Amino acid sequence: MIHDLAPQIFNGLVLGAFYAIVGIGLSLIMNLTGTINMAHGSFMTLAGYLAFTMVSRGTSFWFALIAAPLIAVVVGIVVERTLVRPLYKREPFYSLLMTFGLSLMAEEIYRLIWGANAVPFSPPPGLASAVSLGFMSFPKFRIFIVIVLVIAMIGLALFLTRTRFGLRLRAAVQDTEMIAALGTNTQLLYAVNFGLGIFLAGIAGVLAAGMLGLSPTSGNALLMPAFVTVIIGGMGSLFGSIVGGLLIGMAISLTTLWIPAASEVSMYVLMALVLMVRPRGLFGEEGIFG
Amino acid sequence: MAPETILLDASHVSKVFGGVRAVDDVSMQVREGTIHALIGPNGAGKTTFFNAVSGYAMPESGHVSFRGKDVTRALNWKRVAMGMGRTFQTPSVFPELTVDENVRLGVRAHAGQAFRLRTPRGAAAAAVDARVDELLRFVNLAAQRDRLVAELAHGSQRLVEIAMSLSTDPVLVLLDEPMAGLAEAETDRIVGVIRDLRTRLGLTVLFVEHNMRVVLSLADRITVLDRGKLLAEGTPAEIAADESVRDAYLGEGVLEHV
Amino acid sequence: MKARTELLAASAVVALFAAAPYLAPLVHLDISIVSEVLVTAIAVMSVNLLLGYTGLPAFGNAAYFGLGAYGAALSVQYLGFHFIEAILVGTALAFVGGLILAPFLLRRRGIYFGLLSIAFGQVFYFIAYRDTDLTGGEDGMTITRPYFGIPPAHVAIHELSFYYIALVAFVLALIAFRSVVRSPFGRTLVAIRQNEARVRFLGLNSDRFIFVALLISATMAGVSGALFALLINFAYPLELDWHQSGYFVLSMILGGAGTVWGSLAGAFIYVIGKDIISTITPLWQIFLGALFVACVLGFPRGILGSLAALLARSSAPAGVDPNATFDAHTPSEVNVGP
Repeated sequence: MIHDLAPQIFNGLVLGAFYAIVGIGLSLIMNLTGTINMAHGSFMTLAGYLAFTMVSRGTSFWFALIAAPLIAVVVGIVVERTLVRPLYKREPFYSLLMTFGLSLMAEEIYRLIWGANAVPFSPPPGLASAVSLGFMSFPKFRIFIVIVLVIAMIGLALFLTRTRFGLRLRAAVQDTEMIAALGTNTQLLYAVNFGLGIFLAGIAGVLAAGMLGLSPTSGNALLMPAFVTVIIGGMGSLFGSIVGGLLIGMAISLTTLWIPAASEVSMYVLMALVLMVRPRGLFGEEGIFG
Repeated sequence: MAPETILLDASHVSKVFGGVRAVDDVSMQVREGTIHALIGPNGAGKTTFFNAVSGYAMPESGHVSFRGKDVTRALNWKRVAMGMGRTFQTPSVFPELTVDENVRLGVRAHAGQAFRLRTPRGAAAAAVDARVDELLRFVNLAAQRDRLVAELAHGSQRLVEIAMSLSTDPVLVLLDEPMAGLAEAETDRIVGVIRDLRTRLGLTVLFVEHNMRVVLSLADRITVLDRGKLLAEGTPAEIAADESVRDAYLGEGVLEHV
Repeated sequence: MKARTELLAASAVVALFAAAPYLAPLVHLDISIVSEVLVTAIAVMSVNLLLGYTGLPAFGNAAYFGLGAYGAALSVQYLGFHFIEAILVGTALAFVGGLILAPFLLRRRGIYFGLLSIAFGQVFYFIAYRDTDLTGGEDGMTITRPYFGIPPAHVAIHELSFYYIALVAFVLALIAFRSVVRSPFGRTLVAIRQNEARVRFLGLNSDRFIFVALLISATMAGVSGALFALLINFAYPLELDWHQSGYFVLSMILGGAGTVWGSLAGAFIYVIGKDIISTITPLWQIFLGALFVACVLGFPRGILGSLAALLARSSAPAGVDPNATFDAHTPSEVNVGP
């Protein structure tokens, strides 16, 4: 039993870390600007493809792991400034529709450039082998993924709590008008915040490409679990996204072991259960509704 | 009910926002048939107290009873059904509907017709029409009934809101700064309407106001809040003479010319 | 619009559609595409009721649409049901889906309602996708269109007869939709969109209204989905996918949010446009995406919405309000009180 269970639990952790990081990115953007970024998965895929292209042209994986997400960030900020920004003052479903349209276009564009089929993107040789943990062996690359994602989360936490800009960002989520009154450039905040969300998505995108495969729609496959992550964790809570991500990572990977057909449905069951007990999610602010 | 009946009884009401006690252990009673003013400097917690009383946001502790029933945890729409009406600092109306439709929604809600999938005809419709007419005449907006509320002046939007609050046949009306942002002439119009609420409709009024001239001329009783706490309560004459009230308002100059 | 003018215009539109089997070939349009327009318009209406009228971002209506489709397809496949019965089963399934999801959805407003709609809607997609024995999974399930089912009309339904069935269904749905939105109930939904707190301070439990609106919407989407499955004789998981919900919302915006006829106009533009573009280029998805972007930036009030704004005596359109001041600075929900 343990031989089946232990690797699945670890797999659940890895999956959960992906969901958490994508969920955090979604949350960041949603909390500040009210935009549900339906193109979030497209940015993950973009970073994945960029890394794939770099590595297949001889660049090192390590360089690609940083550079590809950064290029995705540049694209993201351009998109935010030109297409999403005009919608901030409108009803929120307009930005949802906008990013939805962008994701449709992106999918087709990826298909044009990189083909409709999945492309092989393997982890660097140093991480290709498995490591034996005594009772089980586990691919090094997955351990590496967890480490990188944890570093990214810690980095984000430090950024938000220790830097002036991060503090302003957090304050702005609470009360943008106050921050604007204090003279902070809110437009810069919006842009950087969007970029931050895309950067996290980009890193996850490169890592996911190596583990889950890379195709025009591969990023979108992580979008729904990320939504569920945000809902379970509580909209507005970044810590909640981490907990929510790990919970559904576990739920999915354990049901895969026992009832494979129910693997996706399990996260919805979990979401329904959580919402029945806590309508605002595990760490959502009960806020004004008292 | 006898004139001395206590209509609204708030006891030891507290509300905390992010560690700040916006309303701190406030108790007050509103007697039936009175015009009762709630005053205090900015940030005194008047609106927060209003929200607790009307069920817009629940208090952390304390009790609110209305017409002898405990309503501390009652949902806002249930309090309305019990006879409580309220307005907001920024007129809470349906801006894209006409004046008539705004008031009609309230009248239909009260007549139990809001859930109908067919527009009632005959006597039921006539009763609604008559009530809408009556309310529009009361606030003197019959001439503007087909205009969109968004197109009206601020003061008229307030009157639409008051008419809507009356559409549910309340016994107590809570008015949150009904004169805020109005010009002198519009203020007088609202003052007249508030007087009419009592004299013509026999309602009880609790209102928040900054304009001390209005408060002292209109109110039978005044409750003063300061930094979330109850500072004083009494008749206009008592409040005007109260040292602590003068201190609280010091620098604001509002009491200087009364 | 005056009652007589509207009746005249409505009759003209219906007459035009009644003549469509003769007109469509002139523009090289297959009649089944026009059937699809009518069927889709019913689903777009279901979104319009929630988003256009009540102001709730309904990004999960594909769930009910797909439940309708699968309900119809499964009952034909496994129970040998006739056309009418299959439609009733599909509709009932969508209604039940609405009953299950509504309690979760109606707790929240604004973008959170949207997020919950997308997430919850997707659960049925995965069920259909995974339950391969019953539904054929990713490949979907092909059915044979059943007989109409009511004796003596025990006859096969060909494309032309289907078209007229779709037209009748559409007209009935439109009449139902129109009377709902014109009723006191419908006016209260509009009031909820404009100011839910005030609705509650008129003594109304807005949750109850939203619950019923959700059920009406789910039922309409179900009718549409059931008809769609019987139109194409096929049910597949993507009918339940959030992309499909997005297409409905796009169609609603194209036609004009909060207008009775906008749903038809939107469905017409979307279905015909997609058909034309997809025959011209395999890259239709880029154009579709661009249509989203253009629609959001260019004419957010839709075709009819913009027209209505021009015609209306005020500058305020019947649909999306120009001063829709969703304040980007406070993305939390509007407080409507507990």
